Amino acid sequence: MMRAGLDQEGKLRTMVDFQCTVQAGQVSEDMRGILAQAIERACHEVLGSEPGSELPVTVEWIEIPRGFAFRGGQPSTTSLVRGKIPDGCDRETRSRLLMTIGDEWCRISGSGQDEVIVSARDRGWSG
Amino acid sequence: MPYYRCLIPKDSLDYDQRSRIATAFTDVHCGISAAPRSFVHVAFFEVDGSGVVADSHGSGMLEYDTPYFIAGGNRAGRSPEVRTQILNGLMTRFSEIASVSREDVSGHISEVPASWTMEAGQVLPEPGEEPADWYEHGSARSKPKD
Repeated sequence: MMRAGLDQEGKLRTMVDFQCTVQAGQVSEDMRGILAQAIERACHEVLGSEPGSELPVTVEWIEIPRGFAFRGGQPSTTSLVRGKIPDGCDRETRSRLLMTIGDEWCRISGSGQDEVIVSARDRGWSG
Repeated sequence: MPYYRCLIPKDSLDYDQRSRIATAFTDVHCGISAAPRSFVHVAFFEVDGSGVVADSHGSGMLEYDTPYFIAGGNRAGRSPEVRTQILNGLMTRFSEIASVSREDVSGHISEVPASWTMEAGQVLPEPGEEPADWYEHGSARSKPKD
């Protein structure tokens, strides 16, 4: 039992989860699939793992209704792409991951760089 | 980077109140920290009463027992006093604009290293390490006091 528990814990440590919070009407359902693929691809490329192997990547979406999100006090058109990645990623690799995802997001969605925030925190970070 | 989620009961705040709270939060945050105003994000989520919410900047869950809850996420590196000052300011302004008792509002601010976030195509600087031109982004109001 303990061995199984440790295995599960180890598996969780090597998972990548991204949560994309978008404003209503900003990112279509079709585009979400393409963006999710781009995020997964970026994780595998930058974090050095083969697609579908030991680094599962999940992407979930939260849509905020109009009038419920603000930036600088004004209605927001910004997307927040927040991820949890395995602990211990060095600064250069993490920066490359953020940049790759941000660039892909803008290319695919047509958003300006100012309209997307990308973060990737250590899975075990307590906050 | 500053991201404040307000968990509120359904239909408790109208658009005008939400907008005023978002502006007030921006005023509070930028009046205390070095962040440009355009970096302050505020979102409202309607929920069924008090409960628990996943931390946006940490691995845990945040529990709360008030009808209104502010779940904040900021850059790490500020003193506990400054963190408390920001949170108190947010809760006070929220209760004033929402016309609810201060006791009905609680909150928590989590932090992550700035370099774990990219905004406007740039990896964020740590508090106190901002280049001079960073204050020119958006409509920055003040230099850091902490």
